[in-house]
Order: sequence, then structure tokens, then C-alpha cells
Amino acid sequence: MDQSSLKNSPKSSLHYGEKTGKKLIPELSNEKINDFFKSRNWKAFPFQKKTWKAYREGKSGLVHAPTGTGKTYAVWVPPLLEWIEENPKSSKHSPKIRVLWLTPLRALVEDTTRSLRELVEELEIPWTVESRTGDTSGNIKAKQRRKFPTALVTTPESLSLLLSYPETKECFSDLRAVIVDEWHELLSTKRGSQTELCLARLRMWNPSLRTWGLSATLGNLEQAMSTLLGNEKVGILVDGDMHKKFVVKTLIPKNMEKFPWAGHLGGKLVEQVAQAIEKNSTTLVFTNVRSQTEYWFDALLSVRPKWKDQIGIHHGSIDRKVRTEVEDRLRAGSIKAVVCTSSLDLGVDFSPVEQVIQIGGPKGIARLLQRAGRCGHQPGATSNIICVPTQAMELIEYAAARKSMQDKKIEEREPLVAPLDLLSQHLITLALGGGFKEKETLAEIRSAWSYRNLTDEEWGWTIEFIVKGGKTLKAYDQFKRVIKEDGTYHVQSRIISRFHRMSIGTITSDPAISVKFQKGKTLGTIEESFISRIPKGSNFFFSGKLLTLIRVRDLTAIVKLAKSGKGTIPVWGGGKSPLSSELAKSVREQIEQFRLGKSVEPEINAMKGTLELQAQWSQLPSFSEFLIEKTQTNDGTNWFLFPFAGRLAHEGLGALIAYRMSQLKPMTLSVSINDYGLSLSSSSDLDINVSTWKKLLCPDGLIEELLECMNQSEMAKRQFREVARVAGLIFQGYPGAQKSIKQVQASGGLFFDVFAKYDPNNLLLTQARREVLDRQLEAKRLIDKLEEIQSQSIVLKSPQILTPFSFPLWAESLRTQVSSESWSDRVKNMAQELENNY
Amino acid sequence: MNKSIPISWNKYNFTLLADRAIYWPKGRVLYIADPHFGKAATFRYSGIPVPEECTQEDCNRIEFLVKKTGAESIVFLGDFFHALSGKTSEVREILYNWRKKNNHIDLYLIRGNHDLNAGDPWEDLNIQSHPDPSKIFGIECRHLPIETSEHPYLAGHIHPGYTLKGKGKRSIRAACFHLSTQHIILPAFGSFTGLKNIKPNLGDQVFITNGEDIFKIPL
Repeated sequence: MDQSSLKNSPKSSLHYGEKTGKKLIPELSNEKINDFFKSRNWKAFPFQKKTWKAYREGKSGLVHAPTGTGKTYAVWVPPLLEWIEENPKSSKHSPKIRVLWLTPLRALVEDTTRSLRELVEELEIPWTVESRTGDTSGNIKAKQRRKFPTALVTTPESLSLLLSYPETKECFSDLRAVIVDEWHELLSTKRGSQTELCLARLRMWNPSLRTWGLSATLGNLEQAMSTLLGNEKVGILVDGDMHKKFVVKTLIPKNMEKFPWAGHLGGKLVEQVAQAIEKNSTTLVFTNVRSQTEYWFDALLSVRPKWKDQIGIHHGSIDRKVRTEVEDRLRAGSIKAVVCTSSLDLGVDFSPVEQVIQIGGPKGIARLLQRAGRCGHQPGATSNIICVPTQAMELIEYAAARKSMQDKKIEEREPLVAPLDLLSQHLITLALGGGFKEKETLAEIRSAWSYRNLTDEEWGWTIEFIVKGGKTLKAYDQFKRVIKEDGTYHVQSRIISRFHRMSIGTITSDPAISVKFQKGKTLGTIEESFISRIPKGSNFFFSGKLLTLIRVRDLTAIVKLAKSGKGTIPVWGGGKSPLSSELAKSVREQIEQFRLGKSVEPEINAMKGTLELQAQWSQLPSFSEFLIEKTQTNDGTNWFLFPFAGRLAHEGLGALIAYRMSQLKPMTLSVSINDYGLSLSSSSDLDINVSTWKKLLCPDGLIEELLECMNQSEMAKRQFREVARVAGLIFQGYPGAQKSIKQVQASGGLFFDVFAKYDPNNLLLTQARREVLDRQLEAKRLIDKLEEIQSQSIVLKSPQILTPFSFPLWAESLRTQVSSESWSDRVKNMAQELENNY
Repeated sequence: MNKSIPISWNKYNFTLLADRAIYWPKGRVLYIADPHFGKAATFRYSGIPVPEECTQEDCNRIEFLVKKTGAESIVFLGDFFHALSGKTSEVREILYNWRKKNNHIDLYLIRGNHDLNAGDPWEDLNIQSHPDPSKIFGIECRHLPIETSEHPYLAGHIHPGYTLKGKGKRSIRAACFHLSTQHIILPAFGSFTGLKNIKPNLGDQVFITNGEDIFKIPL
């Protein structure tokens, strides 16, 4: 029997204790576990058995496997068996909390609770399984704090909040295991670091606590496990890969010559996509961004109007209720297709899904694997994924991704390095939750992987920050955030306790406008900057509907269904993820194979004409070459560089080169980027030879110069919003917030300015700059790339017209400008542009 | 670029100052909106560390403007204080020292929404508090702007900001003066205050400033 259809299995006939009549059950051997499964006609997978054994031996570890392979049972069965073994006489009272189950998405908590409960009910044991999130009512939360369920399903934020109550320690005294689901999702985020810190505390309370993680396959599983278990524990890595078959196919446009080089949303392929959907009962159509979801939902309806009630749309800005409806229909198999974003990457399996369609480049191998894993749940079934390119270059990406999947070259995800904003939040949480002493807590914090190299200076600064507000500030009487008394740090003020508990967490949400019908049904949220550009009475697409804006008031846009006509598609903020290093490398290999005439992939074959044009007009660079094209257009001179390093590193590189070029000659350059390359455009010409290019691309002094660029573009200031929010400087505003909160609202930018001026050595500023370097510009990858370029030979080409490689960059509409002009000059120039427009 | 721009508005000749204030030469009056004194202290009271230096700096800026213009009076267009919890001894000391050095000028305050909660300034600061709106030196002064008024007026409250957009992703956001035939909305004077973007109507004028330069936006 398939383990996923557990709920239909016959009731257990085996009752430990009662039936055997013995007071003590002999130690459960593997054989016993096998019997236990046999009575249900199950066959336990070897990786499940391995996990059970390790758990029984008191070990911790990480189980990695694609979705839908029974990871849940690998870690959920052993704590239940352990309890049965320890409690041969069944009692009616639910035991004290024994298992804590963490999941990254609030939306997953309910589903997880339901599926964990099924097994408990099967076994007829008195365990209670409950959930606890920000959505849980105050009543239930209070009840839970008096008596926790035996297993609690929650999020890292809610766990952190629990640690802020002193009584939690006693309640958790019989806690045996923490299970962290979808650990790969948390790993390289602040939420991951938050999880690490919480786990460090739980282990301090109970050193024999076992930690088990569930993860998708990653390139750095050992590190992922160490991060989860803390640096003092050794764990066991369990490979649950069932060697499921994946088939990656690409919809190749019939008429490649007419296929857009620069991405027109792939609209030409809508009919083919519709046909693919028709062939299967249920399909998930993944796009990379929310606006594309809206576009494709509408495009599919325009070719298949009768699908109006048979297809759904799902993304992060759509109202929770609407999303839940779609999810329920997916589970029931009563929906033909759902167009979605990464909002459906995770979660409990939707077994009816037969096929997955990926619109646009996958950008990462792990991501494509994850999405492919959303279909084909029947044992032995194949996961079918159909790729739909939106621009020519993506064809190479698909061929590259398929190759990497076969070769199991999956991306790594690295944990963060000691974020101090989070540390200060966590220390206040500990101060609230019964107080902390400096020496032992420092050891506890350093037992978390992310903080293992926390310096004494950073520690000292953070303590000073939460006690006095910072090193350089004199002590103010009224500042009493954390107080030190008899060597213990704690919080006294009720207002600070309340504010802190309200703002625990690391997710920074953008102020959003909710979209509502006149009669009151909420559709979701949209960005203020988008809605402010829509005139009253105009149409836009949202939640798969064409809507007319009636009015905007109090952060709410009131809309009605539009009768007909055209509409604008909203653009939500939040960057696209960059092409991963692994996939980029694989893309280069595909080009190399083609260059050597060895390519066999159908996608590359379809690209033949395009790649030959590139070779003819310019060059197809080999591994030892770095291509730079210079082309004159009506706008002026354009330089195109092709490092294939992903959009973030290209953004950093663009800023860097522009900065260095403007040192050669004062000029304003506009930079545009995509995942394959970048362009620099200027109205004036400049002759740059190979040796100057080598200097412009030199890795020396890169960090200092990037920091300088960062100052000019105010990137760090923007990044400070998140840091300020996590460090508890900004309360996440919400409508109807009390006056006392509104009085202490200031923007991240304002804090940045004040600190930069009066407290320039504030380590939170340093952290914001580092976050920009690491996350927004991928500085490390950039350095690697520049070092590689130094060893390559630079090939300068001056094609008369734009090439297949350069055209998409030229057409890229979002351009950043880098300028060494003063505020006044910049204002003057921009005003001049405005006047020219009239 | 300019440190100040003279304008004529209704029958008055004013000077818009880059340091987020207006001077009326004829009446020798300096207009300042929304200083929000004690805001940093209010934040500290709630456990958010913000240095106090902003208060001292803002006092220095006023002192400098008084010296430069030769103003004899200052009219504060509301929100002198941020909140009651911010009226701390440090704030009081800074303001009191400033007042002592500038005791030759008359100070007027139109009570803003924040002042209603925080209460009037300490008596020894010697500031005359007036309800919103009030006519001072014959000019209607308000904190809260209103849609239609019998008389043209000066007001604060909004903390007006404007985003100037250039080609591509370039943009500059700054505090601004927002002028219509009906009103002049002043930018917030306080260093530790935020901005709210305005949408000018046809015929309005907008002047943006970064504290050092002031520039008229072509609308």
C-alpha cells in the first residue's frame, strides 16, 4: 500500500501494552518496526528504517529526499514508537509536549498538523497534535501555554515568541525531538539563523534533545546538517533519494526565426501550453514572478474561454482564503490547472498533479527539481516537466538544467554569518524569557553554527546596544530596554515587553494596499506604487480577474469586475532570483559543446541558427575567452560584457565598471543587466583597449570601490529597512495600530541617516553594507568571476548591429545609472529630461 | 542652485529657505513647521535607541536661520513636541539653553495634533500657544491643511516629500514646499522626521530641498 493513502488504511489491531499484557515491552528492534508496518501492509523504505534506528539510538540528523517520498514518516514514526514503548499502559491524558515540528510557511502548518494527526489517530494513543502560528486565536494560544499539546506544529517566529515566556522552560521539560521541515528553505535566511538560535536554547535546557531536519537535495548537505544541529553535535545524514525519474522537455517554438530574442513573455506558445494542459488531468504551471502568473492566467483563458471555472491562479499576493480554495481543489483533483509562483513550491503533496510546466528560465537546478517533484506521486511514476521559454537564451538554460540534474550538480545554500540584528532581537527575547547571564549565554549563542565565530567585540557591542542603545551613545535615563541586575539581563518595562513580542521575527513586509470588492470580499494585496499609477476608472488584472479601480482609501483599493477591455498587469517588488553559479557553468558548457560541434540536445539544436549568427557577427566565446562587444546605437555607445554570472553579480560588476570608467573620464553611464551579461551605455564614446579592460575588470580593491558605489546609490540605506526591523527599531506597521505604536514609527532610511551621522561605527550599519555585498551584489561570486577573467583572453568585437547576445540587454527596460555628479547636478539633469518630455 | 528662492504668493513676498523654513522679510517672521522635538526621546522610552543629537542640531539650525535672516519672530506651525513621553530633562535642557541665547525673539505656536497630546511647551520657553487655525501678523496660520479656506494660509502636518524621476531607475526623493494659490505647505523642519509624497494639482508649485540646495520642480 502507498504510504500517502494512510487515511484509508484499516484501523490498527495492534495495541502495545494492552494486548501483550506485559508491563515492560522489550526494546523495539527493527523487526518489531517491520511487524508494525506489516500489519498495515506497508513496506518501510530503507531510508526510513535507517532514520528510525538512528533516532532510537539518540542520534540527530538530516533526511534529504525529493518531495513525496515519505520523509514525514521517517521522522514522525520514531517519537511515537518511543512513547508507546515507554508507556505500555495507555492512559487517557495527553502527555507533556514531546515533539516540536517547525515548518517554514505558515500556510503549511495546518496541512502538516492534519497529516501528523492521522497517524496518531490510527495508533489510538492519547497524543494531541496542535498548531500555533500568528493566526492562532489568543484564546487557544493562552490555553496552549497552560497545557501544550504533545506535538506542536509551528513556525520559527512562533517558537521564538514562546521563548520569551519564562514558563516555557518548565513546559518543555519532556521535549524529546525537534523536527525542522523544509530546512533547505530556511537555511540561508535570517529565519534559518533564528531557528538555530532557538534550537541552541532548547538544547541548553535539554542536552539530549534530538534534532531532525528534512530537506530537499542540496549541494552542501553536510553543512546544512551541521548548521541545523549546531557545531557541537555530530549527526547522521540519511539519503532518501528514491531515484525518482525526471523527464525535462521543452516546448520549442515552431518558427525559431520569429522567436523573440528579447522575451515577449512567450505569448506565442500559449496555444501549445493549452494543448499540454488538455492532455493531463491536473497541471501546475509555474512562473518566476507574480505578474507573469497574472499574464499567463489571462492568456490561457483567452485561448480557452471555457476554462473559466476550471483553472486557478495562486501567488503570494492573493488573499489567503482564495489561495486555500485553490489548494483544496488541487487536493481534490477538481481543477484542471493552477498558474502559480514559488507560492506552491513547498507544501503537502497534491497527489492528483500529473504534470508541471515551467514558464521562463528555471534559474536554478534545485528549484527545477523541487518543482518537478510536485507531480508524479504514484510509486514508480515519472515526474514530467515541460519548459516554456520566454526568450531564446532560456532554451540553453533548459538543456543545461537537464544535464546538471542528470549529473546531480545541485546548488549549495550557505548559512548566514552572525547577523547582529537578529542576535539583538534574540537576546531581548531571552531577557524577557526569564533573563540571561552573559558567560553561559555567549557559549550557547556560539554553539549555533551561524554564530560560531562571533567575536567578543561583536558580542560586547550587541549587549551594549540592547542595554544602552549603542557604544557611542551616552546613557539616557529613560532608555531601559534591557536591564542588568546581579549579573542577569532582563526586561522590566511592560511597554518594551509588549512591543518586543509584537515584533519578533525577521520577515519584512512591504506596505501593501489591499484590493477589495465594493461588497467587501478581499482579493489580495498590491503595491502602493502600482495602484498610484492607475487612474480611477481604469482596468487592471489581479487575482486572475480584470478589475476596474473605483477608488483608493485608507490602504484599500475598492474595485469592481470590469465588463471588458484591456488592463495593466501589476508588477510586484522583490527581485527575481539570479541564475545560479552551477546552472551558469552548465550553460557555458552547453555553448562550448555547440562550438565544438558536439551538441545533441534538442534545445541547442533549435538554437542553431541563433548561435551561428552570434558566431558570425561577433563570437561564441570559448572557456578561455571573455567576450566584449561594442556597438553604436542611436543612444550612443554601448559596451556589452558576457560574464554569465547571474543578474546580481552583474549589477555589482556594472556599478563597479561604471565607477571605474567615470574615474577615467567624467561621464554618466547607464547600466542594464540580465543573467548572461551586462551593458554599459554612454552618450559619449571612449576607446578602451584590452589592457584597460583588464584594469577595469581587476578584482583588487573591489570591496572598497563597491562600498563607495553603494553610498552613491543608497543601496545600504534601503537594505537598512530590514536590519532596523529585525533589530527592533521599526515596528511592522499595521492598519489600526495603537497610537503608542504610531508615535514610534520611523523609516529605515531615517534611522540609517541618523546613525550614519551620529553613530557611524554602529555595527548594524556595517551589517547592512555586508548584506548588500553578499545578497544584492553577490560580491563573492563577483570576485571569483573577475579572477577567472584575469586568466582569460579578452576578445573585443565591434559588430555593426546588435547580436543575439547583446540584443536582450539593449532591450532590457530597467536601467540603472551610475553618476559621479552632485545632488544638484543630478536634480538639474533629471528636471531637464522632464522638460524635454513636454 | 540656491540656498533660498524668493517667491511672491498672493500679496506676500516670501523667501523659501533650503533649510526647510520660510522667511517673511516684511514682517521679519520665520515660519517653521513640525520640528517634533523630543521624538528621539519618545523612541528611547519605547526601547528604540536613537541619539539625542538631532535636538541640538535642530536648535543650531534655528539659531543660524535667525542670525542669517534677522528674524524677530518665529511662528511654529504645529507639532512642536512629538509626544508627552519625549518631554524629558535632556530635551528640556537643550531647548532651554537655546531659548536663553535667543531670548530677543518672539515665539508663537499653532497647536498641532501632536501638541494636543504632548501639552504646551514648558512655560520658561516663553512660547505663546494658539489654537489651529489662528491669524498671526495678519496671515492665517494652520497646522492641518484644509481643502477650501476663506483665506490663503500657511500649514504643516503633511511632511511633504516629492520623488523626482529620471530616465531608467534614477530617482531622487526629498522634502518639499508645496504651493497652491490657496496654501503653502511647509516641509517638516525636524531632522528626525520622515516624508510623505504629495501629488501636486495642476497649477501648483513644488520646490524640493536637501537641506542645502532648493530647486523648483518644472511641473
